[in-house]
Amino acid sequence: MKAVLICPVDSTGVPRLAEAGPLATTPILGDCIVAHWIERLAGVGARQIEVIAADGANRVREAVGDGARWGVQVTVTVSKFELTREEAAEKYKAAGDPAWLPEPNDVISMSHLPGCQDRPLFESYASWFAALSAWTPLALTPARVRISQVRPGIWIGSRAQVSSSAELVAPCWIGDRASVEEGAVVGPGAIIEDRSVAGSSSRIAHSWVGPDTFVGRMTSVANSIAWGSTLIDWRTDSVLHVPDPFLLSSLSKSKSSATTDRFGRTLGAKAPAGPQIDLIKAMGAPRAGASDANLPA
Amino acid sequence: MKIQREGESLIVSDIHELTAVNSSSFRDEINSALTGSTVVIEIDLSNTQFMDSSGLGALFALYRSTIKREGVVLRLLNPVPEIEQLLELTQMQQLFEIVRR
Repeated sequence: MKAVLICPVDSTGVPRLAEAGPLATTPILGDCIVAHWIERLAGVGARQIEVIAADGANRVREAVGDGARWGVQVTVTVSKFELTREEAAEKYKAAGDPAWLPEPNDVISMSHLPGCQDRPLFESYASWFAALSAWTPLALTPARVRISQVRPGIWIGSRAQVSSSAELVAPCWIGDRASVEEGAVVGPGAIIEDRSVAGSSSRIAHSWVGPDTFVGRMTSVANSIAWGSTLIDWRTDSVLHVPDPFLLSSLSKSKSSATTDRFGRTLGAKAPAGPQIDLIKAMGAPRAGASDANLPA
Repeated sequence: MKIQREGESLIVSDIHELTAVNSSSFRDEINSALTGSTVVIEIDLSNTQFMDSSGLGALFALYRSTIKREGVVLRLLNPVPEIEQLLELTQMQQLFEIVRR
């Protein structure tokens, strides 16, 4: 059975996500969007899947290979522009060909996640986060052996490390090889992608932490999308490039751990120790009106 | 950076960035402008586009020096969204009274 997947191109609502690569290869809950869709189509009987990419076709090819991982044959075809579902059906699907999956699985635009048609991914950062939150309970498929639900609403990767003094509040997702250090509070509504670190006494709630991201000691990520050194408030679309790597930074080997400010000056990696120590003290300082139980260790 | 006195208030404005480059002078200038009659210190962050850990450290140092002065109030005025994000990330928004006018 055949099927077509259309890669989304319009990143107007989520420009920072598109900076990392084609939207179809954006990582979500341990795999990229196009991989989640191929897994879904393979599960309903697809054997040949054509992926139509108008943007970053090579990156899409790298992400999906030839499809052997799912037991299907995948080809990535370049298009000059993003096709609509109807245009793709007309171009690639012969009318009445019984070899195609039945609608709606025959031609799919990957502007949403499998089973979440009413949750568009790329309209805004808020819609992105809402879609991820809605999809989290659906993301654990039988094929995904490296993640499991350890308690209702709490999913943890098999190679993740969670300190015994960390607090996990459902719903939350701790990706494979991620690390949650002592005293950290993760959740509710927190998604920590693969290989990321929630530093000691950090707090992450109603947020998505992208892969290979370090959330520093005692920092608080709330209502945000944090990926590398970029912090986006999904309620306001405000974007902050955090200059100090000990607060928020990328752990990816392909990127420098140092970050640059808007003038291109390298910051953080050369930051003097004094202010850093002062700030850590400040972050652990007693808050006016806060009870002792709320204070970081 | 501009420091103005209005009655019992000390108003600090025109801070374009607060970083390792100017955090010491920021602290020193404000401390020298403080008098026994100062009741309110207002740091206007509406023009502050960039701040790093040194800038946050300077704000914290100011916070520490004001809590030693009984009855003195420290306010941050109109931080731009990015600076507010940084304050939230470091949980420092809990230390300061943040006012929008």
